[in-house]
Amino acid sequence: MKLILKDAARSLNLPESTILRWIQQGKIPMHKKGSFYICNQLVIEKWAKEHNLSFSFSENIKKKCDNLQSETLVYALKRGGVLYNIDGKNTNEVLESAVNKIPFIESTKKNEITTRLIEREILTSTGVGKGVAIPHPRSPVLLKKHDCAVITTCFLKNRINFNAIDNKEVFVMFILLSPTTKDHLFFLSKLAFCLRDNSFINFLKTIPEKEALFEKIDTIEKNI
Amino acid sequence: MKKVRSWRTPAKWSFFKFDDRLLLILIGAIVGISSGLAAIALNRSLISMLDMLHHYRHLWWAFILPGIGAALSSVFLEKIVKEGAGHGVPEVIYSVSRRGGLIRFRSSFSRLVSSCLTIGSGGSAGPEAPVVMSGAAIGSNIANFFSLNDRQRITLVGCGAAGAISSIFNAPIAGMVFTMEVILGEWSAVNIIPIAIASVAGTEISRILNGNQIAFQHDHFNVSLHDTLICIALAIVAALVSIILTRLLRQMHKVSKKVKTPLWIKAGIGGCVVGIMGFFMPVVLGEGYHFIHDMINGTFSTGILIAFIAVFAKIIATSFTLGWGGSGGIFAPGLVIGSLVGISFYRIIYMLWPQVSWMSEGCFALLGMAGVISGMLQAPLTGIFLIVEITGGYEVILPLILVSAISSSLCCFFEPASFYLKDLIEKGQLLRPRTDARVLADLSILELIETDCLSVKNNMLLRDFIKIFQNSKRNYFPVKDHKTGIFLGIINLDNVKPYLFDNIIYDVILVEQIMDKNTDIDTISLEDDLSGVLKLMDSKNLFSLPVVSNKKFMGMVSKATILNKYRTELMIQSTK
Repeated sequence: MKLILKDAARSLNLPESTILRWIQQGKIPMHKKGSFYICNQLVIEKWAKEHNLSFSFSENIKKKCDNLQSETLVYALKRGGVLYNIDGKNTNEVLESAVNKIPFIESTKKNEITTRLIEREILTSTGVGKGVAIPHPRSPVLLKKHDCAVITTCFLKNRINFNAIDNKEVFVMFILLSPTTKDHLFFLSKLAFCLRDNSFINFLKTIPEKEALFEKIDTIEKNI
Repeated sequence: MKKVRSWRTPAKWSFFKFDDRLLLILIGAIVGISSGLAAIALNRSLISMLDMLHHYRHLWWAFILPGIGAALSSVFLEKIVKEGAGHGVPEVIYSVSRRGGLIRFRSSFSRLVSSCLTIGSGGSAGPEAPVVMSGAAIGSNIANFFSLNDRQRITLVGCGAAGAISSIFNAPIAGMVFTMEVILGEWSAVNIIPIAIASVAGTEISRILNGNQIAFQHDHFNVSLHDTLICIALAIVAALVSIILTRLLRQMHKVSKKVKTPLWIKAGIGGCVVGIMGFFMPVVLGEGYHFIHDMINGTFSTGILIAFIAVFAKIIATSFTLGWGGSGGIFAPGLVIGSLVGISFYRIIYMLWPQVSWMSEGCFALLGMAGVISGMLQAPLTGIFLIVEITGGYEVILPLILVSAISSSLCCFFEPASFYLKDLIEKGQLLRPRTDARVLADLSILELIETDCLSVKNNMLLRDFIKIFQNSKRNYFPVKDHKTGIFLGIINLDNVKPYLFDNIIYDVILVEQIMDKNTDIDTISLEDDLSGVLKLMDSKNLFSLPVVSNKKFMGMVSKATILNKYRTELMIQSTK
């Protein structure tokens, strides 16, 4: 496959001016054809290997980086789904029943995830105030089918004491499971931004339907 | 039409595309032949000029001849071809190290004409350096003709130099070694092979046209152990003499620079001084090969005192010729001085220990030459191979190696840079491949600049700035004037951290109040030299510097990027 100057520069992760200078100095096997500098991909790959340079001619890397930017809170929430009437008298019980109800966690992993969520609660409560909690494990979890973060919204049957910072009883939990710390911080900060808005809290208190919830979040998110 | 044009770009033929070694060998041979021809041309014209002027030598006004010759050569160089005086080798090294081997076409003949005028009329200089310059220029221009790149052109410049030296001395190995050791300064297989071919071609041309003659043929020498030992002393003497020669030449340049007369008058004065000296001591005139011949064969009959004085007379004559604007090299004078040193040395030790049977006088002359050449060029291998080849004297190889090695290391001790390189090193223009200076000179600021800095306007509130900085990957934010876009200063997050968490002042403070003003910080421009930039970073302990061009912010240059690119560059320069 033939590469032009721009491709070669991108594959070698170097500025075009460097490649141009190398061509002039005769250090790189590229040739002028018409008004373009071209080279054979295999030749240049071999050359890069001989000189210990990294060469990657693919656009996959770029896509991966862009992943997080196109990601939104709504997608994560949609992936996680919404659960209603979660039963339990205390933190441990609600977490356990919530995890049991989450459909996409394999049954073998359920125990582990519950334990990790509870461990995190023991450290400090994830009750962020205004009756909302965001339970999450301390370190990233990998779910089999999802290599992206998921947030499951759980409306509780009864309000429970979650040891939240403002001591208000919790009525809704957003269980956040993310594969990387970066994702985790990204969604945590977005969620926290939504929850700052009191009208949104009041909206949550009405225990809205799935679609209404997603729509609301979408509008808030667009205003960020 | 396309086919017709393509013969001038052989580097694009698919046959040569992936491996240009064969191409370089072919073109190297052409270059070797051409530069060999140039060398023969100079040699022939020198001989005919000497013959022509021979009849006038004994006349009383003959002292003026070298003056006229030097003045004419200076006029030719200055007015007609518009090139500087000097012998040419530093110019070749400069073009190899800084200009990718580019040499002007006129250089391929200018030095030939001017040195022919200077030496033919009796000036004390050598024809070798001018021939090297011509050969190199021929190589460079042939490379240009075939649109080759810098690396290939440098190899061909080396081919030209090697062909020239090989041809003028009938010494192929000396040509190769001189090119690698002095001109290119690197030993890589990619270069050696074409240069070897060029040496062969150059030598062959000289053998066809001039016959296979060894320049200074001599009888058999018998070398014994005590001869080898006494050579250590000879090496020390030779080293001292070459230091004196080097220093005097440079000193003479400085003296002549202070004299405020046109260049050609200066050259004329220098030539006349040489002419007057030559009246009393003919050995100082011209290239002096004739005398070397006598000395090696032991037929140089002057007494010890005269020989001793002749050493210094030749040194002074050479510095008057070259220092005052004549044109030519120091190779031949170096050989003459060396053999005079050898002869004087022999006569002194013969006087001190007359009962010891020393090797013959000619042998000492030969070793003296090696000592002076190796010392002056600080190129021991060139000294060894040149002397072996031009004298055909392999039996003296042991003392020869000893003398060359000791002399060049002693000279290195007193004069850190050789005669050819001294000016270049002083100006910081000697950039040998794979050295720090070379890498830094190759990299330009444009290649290192990072443009992913988000710029902000000077009238922006701190609150708005906070939003921008949340989305940035960098710690530096250039501040522009909101109207003109002129670079006003830069915000360094490290310096403004305390204000960022104080949300009371978010709406009170403008960005321009927390920035470092451009008058207080160091900035660099796109044209700056990287070594200077690094010096600045080191002296002030900075890790990044903003690049400003035409009062506009262009980007940042950081030490981390420099290290990254520096390493890449170093890896690229290490060719097989």
